[in-house]
Amino acid sequence: MDFTELLSFAIKNVFPSNILLASLLGMCSFLACSKKVNSATGLGIAVMFVLTITVPLNWCIYTFLLKEGALSWTGNPELAKLDLSFLNFICFIAVIAVMVQFVEMVIGKVSPSLYGSLGIFLPLIAVNCAILGSSLFMVEREYSFVESAVFGLSAGFGWMLAIVLIAAIRQKMRYSNVPDGLKGLGITMFITGLMAMAFMAFAGI
Amino acid sequence: MKFLANIFDSQRKHFEKGGKLEVFYPLFEAKETFLFTTPHRTHGGAHIRDAVDSKRFMSTVIVALLPCLIFGIYNIGYQYYAAQGLQADVMNYFCIGMWKALPIILVSYAVGGTWELLFALIRKHEINEGFLVTGLLLPLIVPPNIPLWQLALAVSFGVVIGKEVFGGTGMNIFNPALTARAFLFFAFASDISGSAPWTFLGGDLVMSAKQAVAGWSGATPLAIASEAIKGSSVESLMAFAPGDYSLTNMFIGLIPGSIGETSTLACLVGALILIATGIASARIIISIFLGGAVMGLIFNSVADGSSNAMLAMPFYYHYVMGGFAFGAVFMATDPVSAANTNLGKIIYGFFIGFIAVLIRVVNPAYPEGMMLAILFMNMSAPLIDHYVVQAHIKKRLSRG
Repeated sequence: MDFTELLSFAIKNVFPSNILLASLLGMCSFLACSKKVNSATGLGIAVMFVLTITVPLNWCIYTFLLKEGALSWTGNPELAKLDLSFLNFICFIAVIAVMVQFVEMVIGKVSPSLYGSLGIFLPLIAVNCAILGSSLFMVEREYSFVESAVFGLSAGFGWMLAIVLIAAIRQKMRYSNVPDGLKGLGITMFITGLMAMAFMAFAGI
Repeated sequence: MKFLANIFDSQRKHFEKGGKLEVFYPLFEAKETFLFTTPHRTHGGAHIRDAVDSKRFMSTVIVALLPCLIFGIYNIGYQYYAAQGLQADVMNYFCIGMWKALPIILVSYAVGGTWELLFALIRKHEINEGFLVTGLLLPLIVPPNIPLWQLALAVSFGVVIGKEVFGGTGMNIFNPALTARAFLFFAFASDISGSAPWTFLGGDLVMSAKQAVAGWSGATPLAIASEAIKGSSVESLMAFAPGDYSLTNMFIGLIPGSIGETSTLACLVGALILIATGIASARIIISIFLGGAVMGLIFNSVADGSSNAMLAMPFYYHYVMGGFAFGAVFMATDPVSAANTNLGKIIYGFFIGFIAVLIRVVNPAYPEGMMLAILFMNMSAPLIDHYVVQAHIKKRLSRG
C-alpha cells in the first residue's frame, strides 16, 4: 500500500465506516459521556490512544504467537504446528486492560478534573467494544502491520470525532423542547442516526 | 382588512382557553398571524420592538425563493420541449412546468403541513412557520420526475425526524429540507442519482406518444463532467450535443436538474434579497464560494497525469452546476442549523464549499456533493461555535 492508498483507507475508517456510527461499537460510553464537550474530548483522546497502541500490539501478538503456524520462528516443528488462536480474546483483553490501566494512571496524575468527570467510564474503556472490536477486525480482515497501525489510529480518531461532535450538539440542545418520551437517550439515538447519514458524505473517497 | 380583522376578533373566543374549539388554537393562531401582525408581546427578557417575528422572517425567504421557483417551472417546460427537439412559446413552457411542479409543491405542503399540525395540536405549541420554507425548499431540490409517494415519505421524514422530534422550529440540528433530500438520496438511490433522466418527458399525459430526440440523455452537467474521460470535463460539457452546457447557459440555468437549483442567476437574485433584508448571512454565502474556489484550485494544481477528469475543471464551473449556488444561498444560511458566531460562520461556510467540491470531484458515486457537505457542516456547527466561544472567553480572560 502506498501513501495515497493508506490515506484513503484512513478516511474510510474515519468517516463512512466509522467504528461507532457504521459498526455501532462503543455505544455505551458514547451515549453516557457525551453531555459535555470537554469530557467527551478527554474520553475520545483516551480511546484513540488506547486503540492506536493496542491494535498494532495485538497484531504482533497474533502474528508471532497465536496464529496457526505463528510459532514457526522458534524452529521447533512441534511448536510450529500449534494454532493458539482460541486464546485471541483473552490475550487481546489483557493487552487492552494493561493499556487502560496505564492511561487511567496518567489521566489521574495529569488532569484530576477530567479523571473525576469521566468517573467509571475511564476504567470501562477496557471493555469498550470499539477497542476489542478493532483488534478482532484486524484479525478478521487480515491487515498487515502498517494497515493495523493506521486502522487503530483512524478508527480511534473517528470515534473521538463522533463523540465530540455529538457532545457539542447535545450541549446546544439543552434548550430544545424535545417530546417527553424522547428526552435524553432517545433523542441521542436519533441524532446518532442522522450523524451516520452525514458521515456518509465521505464514502468512496 | 378591517373586515378580516373583525372575523378573527369575533371568532377568537371559541379558540381561546375554555372555548369550544380550544384544541384547534394553533390552527387559528397560524391563520391570524399569517395575515396580521401578531397581537402578542414578547414576555420576559427580550426588549426589541419590531413587527418582525419568525413568520415574517420566513416569508421573506419565500419571496427570495420565487425567482428560483418561477425559473424552475419555466425550465421544466423548456426541457420538455427541448427533449423533443421542439420550441414553443413561453406560455407553453409555463403550462407544462406548472403541470409538473404544482403537484410536487402541493404534496410537499399538504403532507408536511399535516405533520406540523398534528404535532402542534398534540404538543400544544403554535404551528411553526419554518415549515413554510421547508415545504417550498424541498420541491425545489428534487428532480421534476420524482414519484409523489417518495416525496411524501421524504417530507414526513424531514419534518418528523429532522425537526419535530427536536422540538420544532428553531431547535433542529439539521436542515429539515436537506434531511428529507438525503433520505431520498439514500433510500431511493437509483431513482435520484445523477445519471437518471432529470427531465420531465411527458409520460402518459401527452396526447400522442412523442419520442425524445435521438441521443437525448437528460444527464445533468455534473454527471457528464464526472464521467468525462481524462482531462476533458470542460470539453465533454461543450460537446454535449442534445443540450447547451456552456458556462453562460449553465449560469442562466436552462439545463436539466432539480426544479429550482439549475439557475445560478435566480439564486443570486434570491441571495441579494436575503442579504439586503438581513435574513441570510453574507459571511456564510461568500465563504462557501471561497471554499469551493480553494478546493478547486488545489485540485487543478494536482490534476496533471491523473485519470480523474474533474480535477482539471476550473472551479467556477462548480458554481454553476448542480445545487452549489442554491445550497449556498438557501440551505446553508438557514439560521437554525448554521453556525451562530461570526468567525464560526466563516469557518462553517468555507468547509461547506471545500467539502462539496471535494465530494464532487473525488467521489464518483455522489456527483452532487453540496447536500452532504451542508449536512456534514450542520452537524459540525455546534462544535465550531463551542470552540469559537471558548477562544473568546480565553482571550478576554487573558486580557485581564
